[in-house]
Amino acid sequence: MGGIYALVSIGLTLIFGVMNIINFAHGEFLMISMYFTFWAFHYFNFDPYLSIVVVVPALFLFGVLTQKIIIQRLVEAEHYTQIFVTVGLSIVMVNTVLFFWKADYRMIKTSYTMSVLHIGGMVISYPRLISFMVAIGITFLLFIFLKYTYLGKAIRATAQDNQGARLMGVNIRKVYLFTFALGSAIVGVAGAVLSPIYYAFPTVGLHFVLISFVVVVLGGLGNVTGAFWGGLIIGVIESFSGFFISPDLKEAIYFLIFILVLILKPSGLFGVIRK
Amino acid sequence: MKILIHKIIPHIPFILFFIFLAILLWLIENAFILHIFIMIFTSATLALAWNLIGGFGGQFSLGHAAFYGIGAYTSTLLFLHFGISPWLGMIIGGLLAGIASLLIGLPCFRLRGTYFCLATIAFGEVSRILVIYFKSITEGGVGISLQFQPGFANFMFKAKEPYAFIALGLMILAAFTSVVIERSRLGYFLIAIKENEDSARALGINTFACKMAAFFLSAFFTALIGSFFAQYILFIDPESEFSMALSMFITLPVMIGGIGTTLGPIIGSFMIAPLQEILSIFIGGQYQGLQNIIFGITLVLVVIFIPQGAFKWVQEIFKKDRIEG
Repeated sequence: MGGIYALVSIGLTLIFGVMNIINFAHGEFLMISMYFTFWAFHYFNFDPYLSIVVVVPALFLFGVLTQKIIIQRLVEAEHYTQIFVTVGLSIVMVNTVLFFWKADYRMIKTSYTMSVLHIGGMVISYPRLISFMVAIGITFLLFIFLKYTYLGKAIRATAQDNQGARLMGVNIRKVYLFTFALGSAIVGVAGAVLSPIYYAFPTVGLHFVLISFVVVVLGGLGNVTGAFWGGLIIGVIESFSGFFISPDLKEAIYFLIFILVLILKPSGLFGVIRK
Repeated sequence: MKILIHKIIPHIPFILFFIFLAILLWLIENAFILHIFIMIFTSATLALAWNLIGGFGGQFSLGHAAFYGIGAYTSTLLFLHFGISPWLGMIIGGLLAGIASLLIGLPCFRLRGTYFCLATIAFGEVSRILVIYFKSITEGGVGISLQFQPGFANFMFKAKEPYAFIALGLMILAAFTSVVIERSRLGYFLIAIKENEDSARALGINTFACKMAAFFLSAFFTALIGSFFAQYILFIDPESEFSMALSMFITLPVMIGGIGTTLGPIIGSFMIAPLQEILSIFIGGQYQGLQNIIFGITLVLVVIFIPQGAFKWVQEIFKKDRIEG
């Protein structure tokens, strides 16, 4: 699960790092992409992993629309406006899905859902392994993209200092638009690889977005590689505390870690303090 | 004496309004309309309570459901196990929630803006998980139903009227507290903190203590309503008492009515609560989620386009009157 957490969190942290907005509706983007994957499977018999080619552009487009219609207005706004508008957006999205498709749990059953890989004494389920590999792949690609392409550099410049970037001739509106869409697209990947192992239901996003808040804070808000490591750490903590303490308390444990990190080192485990 | 009168005069419309409401409740016999009024009063009290810290102090908590849940569980469990009257349980619940707010505030108030908001969400979730976990005390996710034994000491009534009057009383109490705070040193300090915390500190305001005080009061009132509602519907469970959705819905009337004012949350509740009840009657069963879509859209539109809320309209109407008169 660590890989999934990392993927969801990378999108969230990317958006925060560049635009300084925490998207409380981020989990609902995940939920929507899971539904996309599900319907693609249900109606067209698309393999969940294959459906990435459909889901990701769809989510990218959805991100563009959301940015154009709503988020654009929030960039310069006050904190509470940002919080409550994205919270409102999340309420709308959850209930729209609830309205159309009811609260049923939907799951994709594939031939490999239960298949496992034996390495030595370890048993690893294939879908989980794949989600982990995808997470590594996406993080790597994103890293390369941010480091070496013009747009990537523009994104990093805007994250550091948007006024400075604007003065250097970066079109920051475009950067914002692209960043938000990119963050949404990454969540689209997460939704697709999550689908074979997890149920899709209207409030599925809440569970994951809460975890990704933890992950993002752990890795340092706005820090993409931090979010990747944070996701893995939370995944490991979750399995271990579920095994050694109690499965019912595993959520409580990572929230406690979350609070401790917020208090002791709000810049995150890997972060330097950002303004 | 003269000063006192001067202090009261601006509140006369308020007081008349409350008296009018009380008479109205006394006259109404229809159970559904009474129910709507109860919902208005409780949501207004919750909104006023949230507004103390969120509106005046600018500290956006999305973990208020924790206090609501503490209130509901304290009074219910005390009554169930020890036979302590829910009236007393309500006060104890309020104080416990207050203590919890201090414990939460201690670490969280070192954080600002969005970070504070995230931390309160975490605390809200932790409390929900713990309530589900400690099954031996709280019955876990199944929830607790109270047996219906009408009586004043048991805080259970056959008719809806007593509930309505109690809810009105709670709302008046919350509104009174809100007005007093708004005009007190604490209120001005809180507004200073909202505007610019560093400047407030530089001016010698103990920002931490101010936020704690407001948070305590806010938690106290939230818990009172938690207890009240537990007695009203006689059933509690972790998912409805501690959910993050509840924390969000507490803030809805504040946002729509007008943040940072006393009148705003009340106006907001008078707009939202009846709509909510009527919608849930007419469309709730058939079209799941439709009413919440409407509320979500309203929230987004209001926050973007009229951030001061409906209160602004009311203010403008009064201003016009004055010019014409």
